[in-house]
Amino acid sequence: MERRARLPLIVLAVLALAPLVLTTLSCGRTRPVLSLYTWSDYIKPSLVRRFEGEQGCRVVIDTFESNEAMYAKLKAGATGYDLLTPSSYMVSLMHAQGLLRRLDRTLLPNLAHVDPDYLAIAIDKAMDHSVPYMITNTGIAYLEGRVPNVVPSWRMFGRTDLRGRMTMFNDMRETIGAALKFLGHSINSTSPAELAEAEKVLLEWKKNLAKFDNEQYKIGLASGEFLLVHAWSGDVFQVRKENPAVRFFVPEEGTVISCDDLVIPADAREIRLAHAFIDFLLDPAVAAENTAFVYYLCPNKDSYPLLPAEIRDNPGIFLSPELRGKSEMIADIGAANALYIAAWDRLKASR
Amino acid sequence: MRRSRFPIVVTALVLGFLYLPILILVANSFNPARFSSRWEGFSLVWYARLFESPEIWQAVRTTLIIAVSATAVSVVLGTTAAYALHRFGASRLQRVHYTLIYQPLVVPEILMGISLLMAFVAAGVRLGLLTIFLAHVTFCVSYVAMTVLGRLQDFDFSVIEAARDLGATPWQSTRRVLLPMLMPGIVAGALLAFTLSVDDFVITFFVAGPGSTTLPLRIYSMIKYGAPPMINALSTLLLTVTLTAVLLSQRLARRSQ
Repeated sequence: MERRARLPLIVLAVLALAPLVLTTLSCGRTRPVLSLYTWSDYIKPSLVRRFEGEQGCRVVIDTFESNEAMYAKLKAGATGYDLLTPSSYMVSLMHAQGLLRRLDRTLLPNLAHVDPDYLAIAIDKAMDHSVPYMITNTGIAYLEGRVPNVVPSWRMFGRTDLRGRMTMFNDMRETIGAALKFLGHSINSTSPAELAEAEKVLLEWKKNLAKFDNEQYKIGLASGEFLLVHAWSGDVFQVRKENPAVRFFVPEEGTVISCDDLVIPADAREIRLAHAFIDFLLDPAVAAENTAFVYYLCPNKDSYPLLPAEIRDNPGIFLSPELRGKSEMIADIGAANALYIAAWDRLKASR
Repeated sequence: MRRSRFPIVVTALVLGFLYLPILILVANSFNPARFSSRWEGFSLVWYARLFESPEIWQAVRTTLIIAVSATAVSVVLGTTAAYALHRFGASRLQRVHYTLIYQPLVVPEILMGISLLMAFVAAGVRLGLLTIFLAHVTFCVSYVAMTVLGRLQDFDFSVIEAARDLGATPWQSTRRVLLPMLMPGIVAGALLAFTLSVDDFVITFFVAGPGSTTLPLRIYSMIKYGAPPMINALSTLLLTVTLTAVLLSQRLARRSQ
């Protein structure tokens, strides 16, 4: 009788101790572990396996779904990550807060492969604390055959015949930036007059929009609910695999180029391995393979000739020099942010 | 006399409301389209992708380890807490205890997540399985305690006294009288704790460390770049496993009767 009584207790105790035991076991491993904190499906898995083999280490990948969530967590004191991939604007914020480590350039010989044309518009031009990982262009995607008289310009959003079948980003800087570019201003403009002008344009455009949206537009475009959407190039090329009628262009007035950077947090432990991984990703052959897998572009000039023709000849991924000259990255504009927020609030509240 | 159709219509509506989303999910797991909800023919492509994704199975494993162990610990702690609250509920100390146990039910999750993270960082605990486990026990205990407390409310303690009168030791009366009578409450609390642990996103997000991504964390991050339809396939598989388990246990229970 008594033995039967003890069995459930033993089972309970074993179950309760499982996480403790597993935690200690994983600490006891001798192979060094590199902890990467990144977006989901943002690196080709076989490349990670190759790196593990070369370095005799283990790479643990954890994923976040927004820059802000990742930042909140690190800011609250979470540690243990050796390498992150936030977007450029978040990198400048984290750098200003002292959350990032300066890179040791002697450990990164492959920095020479980074595209200088891209660096010219980057925020951290000297690659002091960040290295560009993947870039994407903002543009317009539409369904061929359903939208007549397409002109490669932001003024498509003013087309009343497409009323209710278009979307723009639910993103203050992207959407106001599009209107600023349409008017020929910088997307980082801090002039109240220019912003007022852009706001007026957007108020007109808003009448034609179904909604402001960052995610659902992909589904809407694939199913034909939306005919023309404000879109990121990487997303569009994924949607196109499903609906071949999807077309993408970057407006002739210029656009927003976004970038996710590789950075090492200040409290990283595996500093040498983190540098080795950055250098590995900057290898032209690796970068080309990665680009072909995720459909975003590693700005690595020596990888371009190695890319499949489908990507290399795509003007939505590789902007013409003229168009790139007109495009910008979103920069931190400091106090002028308040102007944007006020304009954006008025725009969202308008009917 | 015609019977009213009203009850049948209401039943159908309620059942539809409850199960239609699940049916759509199961159907979509066989739809090869990733972005459109249009039917593009029967396909097992998402199942194939699912079995090629070790990181999803890793996340399933982590989730189950945490859920099972957090449930085990919180059932023991929650049941003893409920017993203490019920037996000595009138004392001032137990009133404080009640407030403390009740707190996690009303505190916003995000607050609990950030404060737990700050506590772990201050204590120098390495974030990982252990911290998620501790965090889950923290809120699961409350749910178990409340469920068992409900069961204790109409528990007749004279049964225990009778057992003692008939010569049972305190341990025997607990084990052979109290626990079996509380069992429905304990099982309900355990199921609730398990579900909450499997399901939790906000608190887990903050206390998770490298290499301890749970399934909800993985699914959330897949929305941006990944392939969410894989999750339809995974849900269908989990649903099948759960249904089979429920049916089997019902059949076994009937047979043993």
